[in-house]
Amino acid sequence: MNNSGYETSGCDDCAEPFSGETALRESHHENDPPLGYALRSMVELSYESGTLLASGAEAGNLPAPFVFDARTRQWRAPANAYRETILHLREMDIPHKDNASSFENITLESKLAMEPRPYQTEALAAWRRANLRGVVVLPTGAGKTAVAVNALEKVGRSALVVVPTLALLKQWYSVLSDAFGEAIGLLGGGYHEILPITVTTYDSAYIHAERYGDRFALVIYDEAHHLPAQKNAIIPKMLLAPYSLGLTATPERPDGGHELLPELVGSIVYRKSPEDLAGKYLAPFEVVRLPIKLTAHERFEYAQADAVYRDFLAKHRLPMRSPEDWQRFIMVASTSHSGGREALLAARRRREIQAGATRKVTTLERLLKQHWDDRCIVFTKSVEEVYSLSKRFLIPGITFETVAKERKEILDRFREGRYRAVIASDVLNEGVDVPDAGVAIILAGSASRREYVQRLGRVLRPKKDKRAILYELVTSDTGEESASRRRREAFA
Amino acid sequence: MLRSEHVMARLSRGNLIPHSLSDSDEPTTETAAELSGLYAKHVGEPRAALEAEVAAKEEELGPRLDSRRGFRIVRAFGKLLEERCEWAAPAETDPYTLRTRIFELASELPELPVSEPDLLEAPTRDDILSRVATETGLEDPAMLMYADRQSAQILSEFHKPSPEELVHRYNVAQIQGVLYAARELTVDIGAEADARLVFHYVKKMGLIHRIEPTRFGYRLRLDGPLSIFGSTRRYGLALAKFLPGLILTKPWKLSATVEWKGRDASLTLDSKNSVLASHYLGPRQSEDHDEVREAFVKAWERAKNTGGWSLEASSEILPFPEKQAVLVPDFTLKNESGETVHLEILGFWTQRSLVERAALVGAANERGDRVLVAASENLGASNEALEEAVRGGVIPFKGRLSAKAVSERLSATG
Repeated sequence: MNNSGYETSGCDDCAEPFSGETALRESHHENDPPLGYALRSMVELSYESGTLLASGAEAGNLPAPFVFDARTRQWRAPANAYRETILHLREMDIPHKDNASSFENITLESKLAMEPRPYQTEALAAWRRANLRGVVVLPTGAGKTAVAVNALEKVGRSALVVVPTLALLKQWYSVLSDAFGEAIGLLGGGYHEILPITVTTYDSAYIHAERYGDRFALVIYDEAHHLPAQKNAIIPKMLLAPYSLGLTATPERPDGGHELLPELVGSIVYRKSPEDLAGKYLAPFEVVRLPIKLTAHERFEYAQADAVYRDFLAKHRLPMRSPEDWQRFIMVASTSHSGGREALLAARRRREIQAGATRKVTTLERLLKQHWDDRCIVFTKSVEEVYSLSKRFLIPGITFETVAKERKEILDRFREGRYRAVIASDVLNEGVDVPDAGVAIILAGSASRREYVQRLGRVLRPKKDKRAILYELVTSDTGEESASRRRREAFA
Repeated sequence: MLRSEHVMARLSRGNLIPHSLSDSDEPTTETAAELSGLYAKHVGEPRAALEAEVAAKEEELGPRLDSRRGFRIVRAFGKLLEERCEWAAPAETDPYTLRTRIFELASELPELPVSEPDLLEAPTRDDILSRVATETGLEDPAMLMYADRQSAQILSEFHKPSPEELVHRYNVAQIQGVLYAARELTVDIGAEADARLVFHYVKKMGLIHRIEPTRFGYRLRLDGPLSIFGSTRRYGLALAKFLPGLILTKPWKLSATVEWKGRDASLTLDSKNSVLASHYLGPRQSEDHDEVREAFVKAWERAKNTGGWSLEASSEILPFPEKQAVLVPDFTLKNESGETVHLEILGFWTQRSLVERAALVGAANERGDRVLVAASENLGASNEALEEAVRGGVIPFKGRLSAKAVSERLSATG
């Protein structure tokens, strides 16, 4: 009837526990050596600052990653040699004792009704067939988190989830708290609490993994395309974790770093493109672009300021393409004796008009009014704008400053319908689950391809026969217009 | 510590020269003074106001100080001054409860609360705010809604440095910044340097050391546990944090391989020609430790019978690579038959340091090095720990260590 049965039964073997128990089983070899054999010394494994030490070992006993560390006169390997080492010692029937790992068994049962879609089940099965190591590639909005929650449930061991941003740290915290109804640990962004399931950032893992690398049997890398970055690539080395799962929509890196993924987390075990899932699982949506015209007064002021600013740039042959160019402009302008000060003031005024266009705010007010029953999410680049609009319209705001608990509460209430609208800065960027938002309004944004696609992902959610709408408010006749054009081109 | 974007160094024939400032250059000290004055003036004010003014000052002071580097110098000053700030919450009301109440009320309305009253008499923004004002007794709830933001924090205390102090901190911080990208650090310490202090910081920063004697003292190579599997910048931060510890003593020379703009470069420094002031206070020590040692030397000289042992100051370091620890004896005792015994007098000790010492003494004896450790009964953390240590061979003393206590032990174990 269903042939896939062998997949699930087969993988319970690969989930064979890596823990002290098996080591104890081996240890009576040593207490009770068979007659006629030379007494083989016990190999003792221990964890030290991101590395695995083997005492009582002879050169031939240990797998390749081990080298003799002359500094401390010990056999040492990177911590991620743990899996290979245990398998090797078992296979060679070498008596050993595992003092390295302090994984915990945890019984997890997801309380969230996250009905796995067929491709999620397939992805998980493929990962289990690959001995609980590998990367799953699914498009934004396809529910990568559900795959992770299922993986955590299946493995049932202490686990570390590594994410790129503080926003995602907070998002995973709330998803996992909801799913398992257990306290979840946080490491990074001012939090430092280690629990059997802990969420951390790549930056914090880089610093702290050497202290906690012995605690987790499973490590999940969210947005795993960040892992091959030179700095991040050392993180897996510091972790004993025999099981690893990478999640991403875009594994390929322009620098070719994706070739390191098999070594760092495992090969790609499952892959679906947006086209594979379009229509059926990703909701269609409509993009409405609203050009915001400056008021007559603003337009006049803007034109004046812009002319002064551009004259200065031209006179000093200054390009303006990157943040460094901006810094250079300020430097030149503040040292220049003729027109420098005026150029600085003009540049500032220009930006103010762009950001605070009166009609932008009134347009937003109209949209909020129109969609008061449709669950709106407003996105803006500027943190300050979040707070000022939150105060103006009395709707909750979320930025990177918002603490995890409050953030979760706001999104929960939004999901329940107790809040009708939320305004957020860039924090809801990469692959964050926004529950059933019907309308998204982008107030500003930079011209990056990934950001645009990910933001659209916000409303790319299956919904009951209601078409999702994405509004983009762009101030016309100013620099923001071309940023928006670049975004659209990148997406097309 | 600086952020990477504040770090500046010049590359000359493969050698990195970190940017430094002179504490006698007037424009520099004036800039330092003006900026720390700005921080001092803002005590009691919110962070946002300070940050806005600092940003404006950057634009003004930066280019005036140095047309190319001025910006970064001023920003670096700002970063170092921020480390001397303490912040406090602004108001006694809980902004979280306040705004949650406001959002809930607004969301209960069938329509978005309008900003101006209109003909339909729909509830306005002001209606909600005045209702919350009545409930809480607060005059302006909208203003206090986000009073817990970092930018609303109040600068409660500022430890103002002198302009020279700030310049000194800057110079060390620039070298530290270069070390962020270091793969390993080689330090030569002279015999006169306080090796115990140096190893205190090696250990504190979680570094791994290799040690070998040189003609002038010892050479340490410092890196981290994972370094043997291929060089890594992972321990650069720890090496950077180690530096202010090292410069508490001298003489030393250091050299590091640094990955700089995609290439290898080297950083070399010598305590002889660098004037660096540390902002570390050093490990806790009893102030009269030197006195105790001097008193012991005098006591030994006066002693009638020392059993044929002569006392000299020691500049030796006994390494224990397996334990990643060293013993730094104060004295070496020798007798006519060529036997040598090391003696360390502990200043302030903690239970942990004493237990570790006892283990090292045991390990030293095992390999045939004779080591005696004396610990003051007055300067320790716990009596039980000392009693335990005495059973393990530590010599206890009150106030002054007597020659007799040591010579008795020499003949007893010899």
